Amino acid sequence: MTSTPQAGAYTRERVSTAMRVTLLALGSLVLILPFLYMAGTSFKSNAFLFEIPPRLIPEDPTSSNYTTALSSNNFGRYFLNSLYVAVSTTFVVLVLASTMAYAFARFDFPGKRAAFAALLGGLMIPAIIMIVPQFILASDLGLLDSLNGLVLFYSGGAVAFTTFLLRAFFERVPQALDDAMTIDGAGPVRKFVSLYLPLVRPALATAAIFTFLGAWDEFVWALTVIDNPDKRTLPIAIAAFQGQHSTQWGLVFAASMIAIVPVLVVYVVGQRQFIAGIASGAVKD
Amino acid sequence: MKRTRALTVATALILGAAACGTGGGAGGQSKDPVEKLPPGKKVSGEITFWHAYGAGGNEVKQLEKKVIPAFEKEHPGAKVKPVTVQYDKLHQKLVTAAAGQSLPDVVRSDLIWVPELAELGVLVPLSEALPDFKKLSGQTFEGPLATNLYKGKHYGLPLDTNTKVLLYNDSTLKAAGVDGPPKTFDDLRAAAPKLAARKDFVLAEADTSGWNLLPYIWSNGGEMTNKEITKSDGYLNGEKSVEAVQLLVDLYKAKGLPKLVLGGAGATPAADGLAKGKYATTVEGPWIYPPVQKQYPKFKMKGAPFPKGDADSVSVVGGESVVVTTASKEKALAAEFSRFLLTPKAQKLMAETGQISVLKSLSEEMSKLEPSYEPYMKQLETARPRPTTPAWTKVDEILSKQVQLAIRGEVPVKKALDEAVAQIDPLLARG
Amino acid sequence: MDTPRKTVGLLGGAPRGTPPRGKSRRRTDLTPYAFLLPGVALFCLVVAYPLSRSLQISFYDWAVVPTQESRFIGFDNYLRGLQDGQFWLSMANVGVYLVVTVPGQIAIGMFLAVLLDARLPARGLFRVLFYLPVVTSWVVVALLFKYLFTTDGGAINWVLHDMLHLVDHNVPWLQQRWTGLLAVCALGIWKGVGWSMVIFLAALTGVSSELKDAAAIDGANAWQRFVNVSLPAIRRTLLFVIVMLIIGGFNVFISILLMTEGGPAGSTEVPLTYMYKQAFDFLDFGYASALSFLLAIVIAVISFVQFHLFRDDAIGARR
Repeated sequence: MTSTPQAGAYTRERVSTAMRVTLLALGSLVLILPFLYMAGTSFKSNAFLFEIPPRLIPEDPTSSNYTTALSSNNFGRYFLNSLYVAVSTTFVVLVLASTMAYAFARFDFPGKRAAFAALLGGLMIPAIIMIVPQFILASDLGLLDSLNGLVLFYSGGAVAFTTFLLRAFFERVPQALDDAMTIDGAGPVRKFVSLYLPLVRPALATAAIFTFLGAWDEFVWALTVIDNPDKRTLPIAIAAFQGQHSTQWGLVFAASMIAIVPVLVVYVVGQRQFIAGIASGAVKD
Repeated sequence: MKRTRALTVATALILGAAACGTGGGAGGQSKDPVEKLPPGKKVSGEITFWHAYGAGGNEVKQLEKKVIPAFEKEHPGAKVKPVTVQYDKLHQKLVTAAAGQSLPDVVRSDLIWVPELAELGVLVPLSEALPDFKKLSGQTFEGPLATNLYKGKHYGLPLDTNTKVLLYNDSTLKAAGVDGPPKTFDDLRAAAPKLAARKDFVLAEADTSGWNLLPYIWSNGGEMTNKEITKSDGYLNGEKSVEAVQLLVDLYKAKGLPKLVLGGAGATPAADGLAKGKYATTVEGPWIYPPVQKQYPKFKMKGAPFPKGDADSVSVVGGESVVVTTASKEKALAAEFSRFLLTPKAQKLMAETGQISVLKSLSEEMSKLEPSYEPYMKQLETARPRPTTPAWTKVDEILSKQVQLAIRGEVPVKKALDEAVAQIDPLLARG
Repeated sequence: MDTPRKTVGLLGGAPRGTPPRGKSRRRTDLTPYAFLLPGVALFCLVVAYPLSRSLQISFYDWAVVPTQESRFIGFDNYLRGLQDGQFWLSMANVGVYLVVTVPGQIAIGMFLAVLLDARLPARGLFRVLFYLPVVTSWVVVALLFKYLFTTDGGAINWVLHDMLHLVDHNVPWLQQRWTGLLAVCALGIWKGVGWSMVIFLAALTGVSSELKDAAAIDGANAWQRFVNVSLPAIRRTLLFVIVMLIIGGFNVFISILLMTEGGPAGSTEVPLTYMYKQAFDFLDFGYASALSFLLAIVIAVISFVQFHLFRDDAIGARR
């Protein structure tokens, strides 16, 4: 007896699912392998760095790279610096961008189009091309070599993008709710605080993750303006483990592991939120 | 059309803002007369000291645990905050900080950058400011001292000096049937195929900058510039210089010179290759000893004079100078700390970690202190500094690039050096 | 039949805004400005003002130290840039980067998205794994790739040489132009593919399954269904991703800086690294600013062309 058409389709679907999963598993293995290799190397002592054949799992694992990284170079300090800068930037950007997004989403006013276009123009251009005048500006403001200086420039750089991201969500808040509050006599500030902010909270979370990651990872600006080793952020500290004559890769990767763990935590905890946010920024129904 | 207009508006906004931008930015500040910084004054306060001592050996530890505490003990109330900057980031940090007016009080600068920083006007002319400058500078070797001269004033005091000699791996040479380290360019040429047959390299050079190249040119009787350092035409592209570069090109072709010389990244560093027996020889400074001994305790590195071509063996003088910045608010303390770094006590402490003293009085002692210094002390007798010019960073970049093109076989040596000369001479002419 | 209506959010141009319904005309005066002011002020200070200042600096032989005089030299910096072979080489290099990484990220991202666009076990896990490189810091991954592409003892050479015997010697990846660029491109694709995948996946989930089923009944195979049904439906998203990837590609900087430092002999330099070098190694702020604007002009032209494509596409879609 031959199988019914339905059963055939069912089997075909199962085969297809198995194939998909196999391909995806292979793909993710390729993508993840460098990370695993990095993790493995961070537990190797210097002598085994370029061993042939390379081992994913160190033969004689040691945590000495971690202890060296943490103790020798003020690493705890760098970690706190990065945390301070990233959290402050996130806070500043969320406040400023959400108010701007609200204004763009719910008001019509002369100059709106121009202001929006200017923000948009700012997004097109690589941030680094402004580094020279920004450097002069920071110097004039006395904000070189300062963590708050980093916060100011990171915030200014991120505010346009976050405004774009949030505006779409503010626009989706039903106008009827807004109208109802107007009838109740609520002004724009009260509507912003007690109607809009709670309703766009998921979007705020997405924006917060974006901004946090951006500030946590930023390298070039910090490299250029920070001189005092006490004010280094993690990316500079990691890059500094590269030596002139030879690099202690075990140290570099131990430091890298320490730096990416918070990112992974933030990401894995908020990933549903985060991915939905990215997608909705690009694709809306 | 809407979007187009939006873009136009954005452009207009930017341009409009540009029109309102503030003008100039550079107001001509009147020059202050040089403040005198006499010795022996009671000093206090805190200064910041940038240096590129390596963490691989014990340099940083020695500085932070011994030298600075000794200074602070002699001067109660004075504090020195040392800041380690990676050597290859230090130049960028220095010029950037000069532009941002955020330089520290005292810097241990590579001697080659002193004229450039002096030209930027960010250094205190020590020969004017220190009443005892003659006495201090009189103790040091003339070669390193001269590199601090810019427009008739000395802007720094030499702090340590060094040169490069030929370091070799005896067993690698022996295994290929080569007897002892190459003494001449011809020896290098002859040894190259023997080592190449074993897939080893006769010589490793890490770069094609002046620091790497000039010993070959000089030891072949060539020159980089005229004596006044105003032109390189007829010198850098002269016959002897071309021959010297040709040696490297030929070695590279014969697989005697590893790809390391092309710069970029990912190659086995010279010291590692030497210790592992992959490179038979390399040309390096004394600072390489402590990290190599630490990482490869079984390897016995040996030194020999730099090989010679048509002239005598001439290596390049390197080293660092101590400079005081005009931005310093504690110039008296900064000057006092600079003096301290030149005392025999501080010099000996740093000499233990691979830093050869600039004090003439200590030259005898150096080899006793550290046997590996011996070939270096000998080489130093004839070693020469690179041309002192504020444009050195750019000059070096041009030279390095053109020689790379030659080594990669893209351009004949003579043509590459002609091109380098054409680009370098306008920079030298500017002074 | 409901065709999925996708619009592009980020680049959707100026918002039309909601009609000012129920909003009292008199109240609109200053309120929006008050909400905008802090953010716009910061934006002007940190982005708009430096941008205009940069334009000004580009016309000067800029003296970096205040005690020295800057000299107005008109378009000299721009002319110098146009004649600077190294600058054009850097533009060519970023061109190579775009040509390799944009299609690379789109093809692989799309492939993964199509695979994921079904009811699958561990679908969420895959999505998380693919996105991991995107959220990891550029500094970390650039150093990691530098390590992997090391000539002697690097893992990539081990795989190619010792394991697969595809090459007879260790490839000096980061020591020559083309292989160096290839390594940087590999990093670009590896790091970016998760992003395009997530966006394609979101778009694909919106494609009506009835359409696909109808095509399947008509005898279309998977590839035909993808080309004839899914691809046209997510066309706008595809264009959006292309635009974003091109703009992002011009940003390539940290990977070059940390992996090859633009070397050997400047052969892997990209415009941003070259500009940065002019500014902070040679303190030639004027020239660096002029190079910035030359690059910005190129980006503006490309964006302009893309905006037109978008517009025509929008019209086409409406028909």
